[in-house]
Amino acid sequence: MSSVIHINGFTNEVLDWESWLDPVQLENATPEQVAALDEMSPTAKQSAYFLLLAHQPEILLQRSIAFNAIMFAPGGMPRAERELGATVESRINGCVYCTSVHAQRFEQLAKRRDVIEQVFEDPLTAGTTAREKAIVQFSAELTLRPDALSATHITALRAVGLTDIEVLDLVHSVALFAWANRLMLNLGEPIFPAPAPSPAAAA
Amino acid sequence: MTTLASPVDVIDQIVPLAPAQPTYIARHARAKVVAATQGSYDGMFTPAIEGISVVERLLVAFHTAVLSKDAALAAHYRARLVAEAADPAFIEAVEAGTIATLESHRIATILGFTTKLIERPIEGDRAAVQALVDAGLTTPAIVALGQLIAFLSYQVRVVAGLKAMAAAEVRA
Repeated sequence: MSSVIHINGFTNEVLDWESWLDPVQLENATPEQVAALDEMSPTAKQSAYFLLLAHQPEILLQRSIAFNAIMFAPGGMPRAERELGATVESRINGCVYCTSVHAQRFEQLAKRRDVIEQVFEDPLTAGTTAREKAIVQFSAELTLRPDALSATHITALRAVGLTDIEVLDLVHSVALFAWANRLMLNLGEPIFPAPAPSPAAAA
Repeated sequence: MTTLASPVDVIDQIVPLAPAQPTYIARHARAKVVAATQGSYDGMFTPAIEGISVVERLLVAFHTAVLSKDAALAAHYRARLVAEAADPAFIEAVEAGTIATLESHRIATILGFTTKLIERPIEGDRAAVQALVDAGLTTPAIVALGQLIAFLSYQVRVVAGLKAMAAAEVRA
C-alpha cells in the first residue's frame, strides 16, 4: 500500500518481537491460557509476546478485554485518533515495536500517514490540524507528566471539539500504551526484517 | 447475560465522583473498560499467583504511586500493606526513597526494577530481567511483576485523566 518510513530509529515496517524469557508452549497451554489468548486476538497464539504473557492467564484475559474495549469500541473518539494517541505514547517511550504496529493501524484507518511522519520526527509538535495537534500534545503530556495534568489540558481538547467520551477514550488509549510499552520494552526486544535485496524492492 | 460488576471499584474510590457528573457518566458508558480495569486490579493482587507474594506486589504498587506523585493511590496501597501486616521497614524505605539500602536483596532488586520501568522504560534490558532471575524469581513471577508495573502506569494515567476531567467540569 505504501513505502516504508525510517525516521529517528522508528519505522512503519512490520517487525517481529523476541522474548527474553521462555514463552508458554502452545501444545502445553492450559484451557485457561488458550482462552486468554483467544480473547486477545485470532493471531495471539502465534505471538511470542502473548505466549509469554500467557504465563499469567487471568491477567492476560483481563488486559485483553480492556485492550479490545479501549481500541475498538464503537462510538466516541474515531479509532484512527485512538491509534494516534497510542503511537505518540509509544514514540515518546521509545517502544519501536508498538510504534510500528500502531502507525500501521493509523494509516489503515485514516488512509494517510502525514501525521505519523511528523510524530516520528518530533512528537511534541506533530499534527496536521488544530484538533490533531491538541490530541498529540495531550497524549505527550499524559505520557510524560501525569501528575501535572490539569483542567487546562482538558479545556484545550474541548476547544478543538472533543466531547467528554472522546476525551475519556483518548485518556484510556494513552494509558493503555503506558502499559503495553512497558511490557514490550522490558520482557524482550524487536526484531527487524532482513534488509531488502535492493533499494528498488522497498518501493 | 449481564456481567456482574465487582462490588468495589478502586478507581471510583480514588477519584470520587457523583453519578450525575459528566465525567462519571462518560467513564461508566465504557462499562467493559471499567470492569476489565477492576478485573485487572483484582488479578494483579490475587493470592493465587505464586512466586511473588501479595506483600511484595503491594510494595511495588506503593513504590510506583510514590514515584508517580499520586497521593491518593499511595495512601490506598499503603493502607493495604498495613492491613497485610507488611514489615514497616519496607514501607518506610519506600517513603524515604532508600530502597537501595534494604537488607533484603530480593526486595531491593524488585523495587529497583520497578523504578526503572516506571521512570525510564526505554532502559529495560536483558540484564535487568536476568537480575530478577538471579534474585530467585521464576518466569511466571517475572511476567506477573512486569504486568503489575505496567498496569500501575496505566492506572496512574487513568486516575490523572479522570481528575483533570472532573476539574474541568467546575470550570465549564
